[in-house]
Amino acid sequence: MAQSLSQRLAHSTPWRWLRVWLTESPRSGALGYLLAPVGVAAATVVIGLTESVARISDVSLLYLPVVLWLAMRYGRGPAILASVLAFFSYDFFFIPPLHLLTVGEPSEWLSLFALLATALALGHLTAVVRARAREAEESQQRTEILYHLAQLIATATTDQQLYDALSQQVVSVFAPSGAHACALLLPDATGSLQIIAFAYEQGYGTCPVDARPGDASGQPAARDQHTIVRTPLKTTRGVVGSLLLSGAPAIRLLSPDVAGTQGDTAPEPGQEERAREQAPLFAAFCDQIALAIDRAALASEAMHAAALRESDRLKDSLLGSVTHDLRTPLAAIKAATSSLLQSDVAWDAQERHELLSSIDVSADRLNRLVGNLLDLSRLEAGVAQPELDWRLMSDVIASTLDQLELSGQLGRRTLRVEEPGDLPLVLMDQEQIQQVLTNLIENALKYAPEGSAIRIQTCVVEDELRVAITDQGIGIPPREITAIFNKFYRVQQARLPWSQKRPPIGTGLGLAICAAIVKAHGGRIWAESEPGHGATLTFTLPLTTDRPQGGLPEIAESATPAPPSTPATRAAAV
Amino acid sequence: MLVIDDEPEIGRAVRLGLQSAGFTVEWEDRGQAGIERVAQWRPDVILLDLSLPDLDGVEVCKRLRSWTQTPIIVLSVRAHEADKVAALEQGADDYLTKPFGMGELIARIRVALRHAAQSTGAAEGAEGAVVRIGALEMDLERRIVTVDGRETHLTPTEYEVLKYLAAHRGKVVTHHLLLHAVWGPDYEAEAHYLRVFINQLRRKIEPDPSRPRYLITEPGIGYRLREIE
Repeated sequence: MAQSLSQRLAHSTPWRWLRVWLTESPRSGALGYLLAPVGVAAATVVIGLTESVARISDVSLLYLPVVLWLAMRYGRGPAILASVLAFFSYDFFFIPPLHLLTVGEPSEWLSLFALLATALALGHLTAVVRARAREAEESQQRTEILYHLAQLIATATTDQQLYDALSQQVVSVFAPSGAHACALLLPDATGSLQIIAFAYEQGYGTCPVDARPGDASGQPAARDQHTIVRTPLKTTRGVVGSLLLSGAPAIRLLSPDVAGTQGDTAPEPGQEERAREQAPLFAAFCDQIALAIDRAALASEAMHAAALRESDRLKDSLLGSVTHDLRTPLAAIKAATSSLLQSDVAWDAQERHELLSSIDVSADRLNRLVGNLLDLSRLEAGVAQPELDWRLMSDVIASTLDQLELSGQLGRRTLRVEEPGDLPLVLMDQEQIQQVLTNLIENALKYAPEGSAIRIQTCVVEDELRVAITDQGIGIPPREITAIFNKFYRVQQARLPWSQKRPPIGTGLGLAICAAIVKAHGGRIWAESEPGHGATLTFTLPLTTDRPQGGLPEIAESATPAPPSTPATRAAAV
Repeated sequence: MLVIDDEPEIGRAVRLGLQSAGFTVEWEDRGQAGIERVAQWRPDVILLDLSLPDLDGVEVCKRLRSWTQTPIIVLSVRAHEADKVAALEQGADDYLTKPFGMGELIARIRVALRHAAQSTGAAEGAEGAVVRIGALEMDLERRIVTVDGRETHLTPTEYEVLKYLAAHRGKVVTHHLLLHAVWGPDYEAEAHYLRVFINQLRRKIEPDPSRPRYLITEPGIGYRLREIE
């Protein structure tokens, strides 16, 4: 990128600089031509005064500082004029015969032409040096501006930030050429150009056309004075976007190759010169911006590709995990049923029962797995918005335990439910929270040894309802205490040095589902563990102040007529 | 026994399971055909899947209820609570969530059959003035409720709720129906207060209120007072 930039500068610079040098600013040039006779006249007076005091040979050299000064200050033209004027003035005033443009003595011709030649040579050399110095200075400025641009491109953290900074930079750099506003246009997904960044000159107002301050004559700027230039941004891959520049007519000169510019008002002379000077810089700018945009696009493509790879990896992992977890119970069912279907084997009651139990357990396992997968996909797709309603956590816990008991998962473990009698109503999706409880309790059951106790504690802590499920299992290694809530994550056996037992198999989905649901409810979920002595998984649900605090009224006695022989108040009275 | 379900495997499994329990089972895979079969064959209990290819299960329920009181047990997959509630309010007697165990299904069928026999046979009073559910005993005549032989003090409202549930014991009663029956139509939408109320009632009648044995929550649907001998 840097190479192409410098190449471009090298190619374009000499020609453009020559042109700049030849077409100097008219105002400063006129001043130079005006000052040339004045300077020569002044030198003539000085020489005259010197002559009146003493006759000094080669006093004509006193013209040379004037030529030198003019060449340095105003360039070659005024220097040449001054040289010629000096030639004639010296001849006219000081070479005999005086006050005539003729020369009496031939040796005086030599002295006169020596003066002219020296003056011309001095003027030329000085002008060349001056041009070089100016070139070097401008080149340094240009390098600084481009360096600043490169820095902007390198430090922008987001694409938008980059585009904003680029357009802002364009406006501030090209304001001397009359640029007031800059917009960056990039193609969207459908290919049509959209403005993605816009910047305007400070103090210029947000509305670039109508709110423009009046010009020097006090007249508000007319709309037709507003020139808009659209420069395509090209890279080797083609046109990546467009740069729209708006401002004074001179900006047309910034990219002279571009057709279709608006406005035919003549540019202001000062701006015109600056615009011509800045044209190569503008071209370099457009190159840089095009490359930056191209690179941003490539980077986003690379990110997209990385995301796709990650998604593929997840899918593979899911597929691997799910295939195994689906196949295992299916294999068990197939094995048991094919055994039972064998007509030549007479199974006794005990054997038949074992085979059937195996089918039963496997079917339950499949059912849970499919449920988990469905839940996760619904949660991830965002379809499963919680259907919130005011519920009692104690109801949900009881229902969850009933279901687990029904499916025979509780085994010989003790479940201790600890909850205060006056739990408040909580806003929740009962089905989803029941899923959370089921997964957390199943998790505890997996790791808790037979005969151990699992504790389910519910309490109100400040403005949240907290449910903690504690088991006496193998615990969670401290380093994995947050990772367990990730999808497909399972605590590996190698990481459980205190446990000889292999961790039970799971899909690595249960806790991820819990985390997703709790998050959707605005709650928190976390794990605490003392390795080897069990783990506590806790989740919270927010308690809002607007929860229903009332209750159902006592019914009137007449609502359900009681048998006449029995007073309706009896139930309360006894 | 008529099974209306469009999945042949479920139909076959249920038929086999129920036949072994001594029931006669027929199977239809379309809602319309099911309704016609009920009209011709007059089953004792209808097992109805809620997702049928031709007719919505709730609609089938509604059409059947317009001319028959045959008990309907709704079968449905999880996550269709609203459909279950709608079916129950259209007159279905009970529901079961797929996949279900055969034991559970047979138990529900027996409850449904008994209720059908009671409602056609005699008035409520005929079953006796005392209702026993485990250690819970309700003397409907004297309005006394005892747990393990000890009297428990219920407010008149609590008593009415328990009485309503007892009259439908074994069956699920939706929040809507219970609120309507006890508090009247103005309170039908107050399901959340009903939860608090039931929680208080459980503290008076359940041995362990955190693990209710008698008064069971049917999540998202309502309550069921279990039948325990």
